[in-house]
Amino acid sequence: MDFDDSPEEAAYRASVRARLAEHAGELVHAGHGEEAVDPGTHQAQFRHTQRVLAEAGLVGVTWPREYGGQGGTVVQQAIVAQELARARVPVLINHIGLGMCGPTVIAHGSQDQRDRYLSRLLRADDVWCQLFSEPASGSDLAALRTTAVRDGADWVVNGQKVWTTLAHVADLGILLARTDPDRPKHAGLTMFVVDLHAPGVTVRPLRQMVGSAGFNEVFFDDVRVPDAERLGEPGEGWRVALTTLMNERVAIGGAGGDLGVPVETLAAHARERLPALDAERQVLARQAVGRAVVAALAARYTGYRRFTVLSHGGLPGPEASAGKLAGTAAARLVADAGVRLLGDDAVYAATADGDDTWQRSQGYLPGLAIAGGTDQVLRNILGERVLGLPPEPRTDKTAPFAGGRR
Amino acid sequence: MNFDLGPDQRAAAAGAREFYRGSASAAAARAALDGGAVEPGHAALAGIGFLGITVPESAGGAGSSVLDLAVVAEQGGAVLAGPSLATAARAAVLLADHPGLAARLADGSARFAVLDGAVTGSAPSVDAAGATLFLGLDGGDLVVGEGEAEPGRPIDATRGLASVRLTSREVLAGDAGELWARARRVAAVVLAAEDLGAADRAVALAVDYAREREAFGRRIGSYQAVKHLLVDAWVGVDQLRSLVWWAAWAADAAPGELPLAAAAAKAYAAEAFERAAETCIQVHGGIGFTWEHDAHLYWRRAKVDRLLLGDAAEHLDAVARLAVAGALG
Repeated sequence: MDFDDSPEEAAYRASVRARLAEHAGELVHAGHGEEAVDPGTHQAQFRHTQRVLAEAGLVGVTWPREYGGQGGTVVQQAIVAQELARARVPVLINHIGLGMCGPTVIAHGSQDQRDRYLSRLLRADDVWCQLFSEPASGSDLAALRTTAVRDGADWVVNGQKVWTTLAHVADLGILLARTDPDRPKHAGLTMFVVDLHAPGVTVRPLRQMVGSAGFNEVFFDDVRVPDAERLGEPGEGWRVALTTLMNERVAIGGAGGDLGVPVETLAAHARERLPALDAERQVLARQAVGRAVVAALAARYTGYRRFTVLSHGGLPGPEASAGKLAGTAAARLVADAGVRLLGDDAVYAATADGDDTWQRSQGYLPGLAIAGGTDQVLRNILGERVLGLPPEPRTDKTAPFAGGRR
Repeated sequence: MNFDLGPDQRAAAAGAREFYRGSASAAAARAALDGGAVEPGHAALAGIGFLGITVPESAGGAGSSVLDLAVVAEQGGAVLAGPSLATAARAAVLLADHPGLAARLADGSARFAVLDGAVTGSAPSVDAAGATLFLGLDGGDLVVGEGEAEPGRPIDATRGLASVRLTSREVLAGDAGELWARARRVAAVVLAAEDLGAADRAVALAVDYAREREAFGRRIGSYQAVKHLLVDAWVGVDQLRSLVWWAAWAADAAPGELPLAAAAAKAYAAEAFERAAETCIQVHGGIGFTWEHDAHLYWRRAKVDRLLLGDAAEHLDAVARLAVAGALG
C-alpha cells in the first residue's frame, strides 16, 4: 500500500507539469472562486484550450493512438487530471464527449465513424453532447419517445430531448431514439450520431434554478440522419447506451476526485472565517467542518481504492455508483459547512466582496443528486447488483412499447 | 498509488477469519451478558500471536505493521471477539522502549489494559476487567502497576470495561504525553477496524434476511424503502473501510497523517457502525428485537464502541482543528 508516484509516474507527472507550464499563456484559467467559467460565453477560448492541450498530448490519454489518443494508462490519465486541476484549468469543454460519447464511439462505432470523429473530438474541433433524457423519460430512460423512422438511406428523427448539457455549443451528439415501437421498450432503441447543425434541430437553453444556462432542450423536426451515422445495430441502442452510462458514473465521482468544492478550499475558508464567529458558534461550525472533511476524505479514499482496481486492469463495476452517491453526500456537507461559516452573510447570494463560491456550490448540489443517475436510482443499482437484493416487480419490460403501458 | 491490501495481508485476513470464526461468536457475546467467558479470550489470542503482532521481533512479537494488525482486528470484530486488539496495539506503542514488558504482552504472561483518565480512579477502560497489569498516564509520566478493577453492569460484555484504581505504580517514562497520544490514536484505528468488521457483518445479516423474508407477497429486499436502508448502511461500511485502511497505513508509513486519519476513521466508525446495527434490527422486524437474535449484540457493541477512545463529536472537532491548521496540505 502506498500513495506515492512510482519513478515512471513521477517522471510522467513532471513532463505533464512542464507541458502545462509551457502552454500556460494559451489556456483558460479559473481564478479563485471562479471554478465555473461558462463555456457558453467563453466558447472560443475553451475550444482553443482543449486544442492546445490535445496537441500537447494531454487529452485522450487512454485512447488508442490510431484515433489521436496517447495509448496511455488510467494512472497517466489521473495524473493529467490532477495536474490540470492544480493548474486551475477548468473542466474541458468537451468533457461529455471525452467521458461518454467518445468511449461509446470507440466501443460501438464503425471504423469510418471512429476515423471521422475521434481525433476531432479530442481537439474540440467538434463539441459533443449526449441526447438521452426526455420530458417523459428521465430515470426511466428506456421509456423515451423520440422516434427514428427508416426512409431510404436515412432515418427521420422526431421528438424532444431535455437536460442536454452543452447542446447550446455542441456540434454533434449521440442520440438514443425509438426505432421499433412494437418491441419491448429496451429492445426497440437505436443509437445515432446526429449533427446539431442539421436542418430541423432546434436548441433552446434552459435556465437552471441557480440562474445559469448549462443545459438545454433540443427539438427534432423531421431531421434526416444518414444510416451511416447509426452507432451499433438497430435495436441494440440500449446495450450501446449502457456503455455510455457506465462511463458516466465513473466520470462522475468514480476515482477519487471531489465532487463540489475541494475540501482543501473548505479548510482555508474555515481558517479565515472561524475567528469571526462567536465562541459558541465556533464549536458548532467545527462540528460541521469536521463532518464535511471526514465525509469528503472517506469518499476520496474510496475513490483511490476503486482507482487502484482500475489501474490494475479491472473493469468499472456497479460499485462506481457508490462513488457518486457518497461523493454527492459529502459535497452537500462541504457546501453546508462552507455556507455556515459565512455567518450573517449566509443568507445572501454572495458576500459583500462578491464571492459566491459557497452559495453557487450549495445551489448546484440538488442537480448533482439527479444528473447521471439520481440518488434513488443509484441505490437501486447498488441494492440489486452489489448486494444481490431482488428487483421491484416490473410490468414494463416485456410488453411491446406501443402496447399501452409506457 | 496502490491503495489495496497486499497478498500477505489478504492471507493474514483469511487466516484470522478462520481462527475467529472457530473461537468466538455472537452467541458467546450473548452468553457473556449472563456471566459467560469472553471469547476467544486472552489466552487464545496470546497463543495464536495476535497480541504481539505489532510488538518487535526482538521482544517476541511479529514486528508487523498497524495495518497488518487492523486486517486481523476486522475479522475479530465480525464475530464480536474479545479482548480487543486495540488494547494490545495501544500497549505495544506504550511499551516500545520496554522490551521486557512488551515480551510479556506478546506471550500473554501479563494481561495488560490501558487506563483512560486518572490512575487513582480511571474512566471505564477497555479490557480492564480481567487485566493483571495496567498502563496509565500520571501527571505526564507513563506508569505501570497493579490495581483494583471495578466493572460496571455492561451494555456489551465483550469489552471488559472497568474503572481501575492503581494499587502500585512504577514510572516507565517521563514527559510521555506525545507517546500517550500516539498510542491512543493507534488504538482508535484498531477499534475502528473492529467496528468495520462488525458493521460489515451486521449489514450482511440484514441483507441475507431481506433476500429471503417475504411480506405483502414478495421479498422485502425488493421494496425500495428497505433496499435503500440497506444500501446506505453498506455504503457507510464501504467508506469506513477506506478510512480504516488509510489510518492504519498512516500509523507506520506516514505518522504525520495519523492524527487526521485516526480521528476521521474513529468518527466515521462510530456513526457507520451504529447505522449498520440499527438497520440490522429494523430490517429484521420483531425477531431482530429478541434476546435470541444476534442483531442486538452488534447493536450493543456499536452503542459502546462509539463512545470509547473519544466519541464522534470529539474526533470531528479534532478533524476540523487539524484541517484548519493545514493538515490537508
